[in-house]
Amino acid sequence: MNAIIVEQIVVTTLRNCCLNNGLSIEIKKDTSLIGSNRVLDSLGLVNFIVDIETAFLDIGVEISLTSENAMSSRISPFRTVGSLCRFIENQLGLVNG
Amino acid sequence: MDRIILITGSRKGLGKLLCEYFLKQGDIIYGCSRRNASIEHSNYHHFNLDVSDESAVISMVRTIYKIHRRIDILINNAGIASMNHFLLTTFSTAQKIFETNYYGTFLMCREVSKFMSKQKKGRIVNFSTVAVPLHLEGELVYSSSKAAIEQLTRVLAAELGPNNITVNAIGPTPIQTDLIANVPKEKIDKLIQKQSLKRLGNFEDVLNVVQFFIDENSNFITGQIIYLGGIN
Repeated sequence: MNAIIVEQIVVTTLRNCCLNNGLSIEIKKDTSLIGSNRVLDSLGLVNFIVDIETAFLDIGVEISLTSENAMSSRISPFRTVGSLCRFIENQLGLVNG
Repeated sequence: MDRIILITGSRKGLGKLLCEYFLKQGDIIYGCSRRNASIEHSNYHHFNLDVSDESAVISMVRTIYKIHRRIDILINNAGIASMNHFLLTTFSTAQKIFETNYYGTFLMCREVSKFMSKQKKGRIVNFSTVAVPLHLEGELVYSSSKAAIEQLTRVLAAELGPNNITVNAIGPTPIQTDLIANVPKEKIDKLIQKQSLKRLGNFEDVLNVVQFFIDENSNFITGQIIYLGGIN
């Protein structure tokens, strides 16, 4: 597991979620997941979070995006694709600090 | 295709009977309880855990998903009771009852519905009690924990409905299980007199409602609490 695979999983999962909602957009690291420019509605975000957890589980990697850490962070890890990738990399111990 | 069913509190009482019934139907059952399994069957798999232990619940549910890639039905049967006057109820007793009854149901619903959401299909059945609508004296904490489960049932029905997951609850009358073993007979008799149908409930009464909730044809039934015995 490395940062590239994390990003691939996150981007692929988000792309599929968007397609399921009839959205065909280019997904970049600064693509917003919450806020006024978000690409998914609130239910779409919930499904996306669940799909991310399951996508990692499908390759034998356990992460929890509903952990206390994720949900109570002062700055949400769900702001953008990039911030979510960094949060997952942290959970998996792929980055220091 | 065999259904993958998770039943909590499966070591004894209604949970065990439900497991045995669905095993006879050819389903694959995953049960759990704090103590060792009391069922031996090739399609029965047991986890020793406390349903209020978040990491243990996550681990169990993920293990089931990794094996089958789906969970079809969740039956949140695990529950404990303590009958006492409010003024004599310790805080630790109140905490324990809420931990097992409410938080256990909350955790199981959350973890299982993640996978049900992915598969866009699922059935969840929770357990309440007639003690909620009857406002029974001496059952404050127990019935409060079950009232919380009823609210959880209704809100989850709304939140999980878009993913084709139904969430319902059954509210049994007293049934001759360990849960009421220490309740005086006079109290049970008094309670039965409040029912439209004046008898103890039995396993078949509960099974009938559970089967209705999990039936393929019940895909338009959600957020409902069905009480036995004519209580409402």
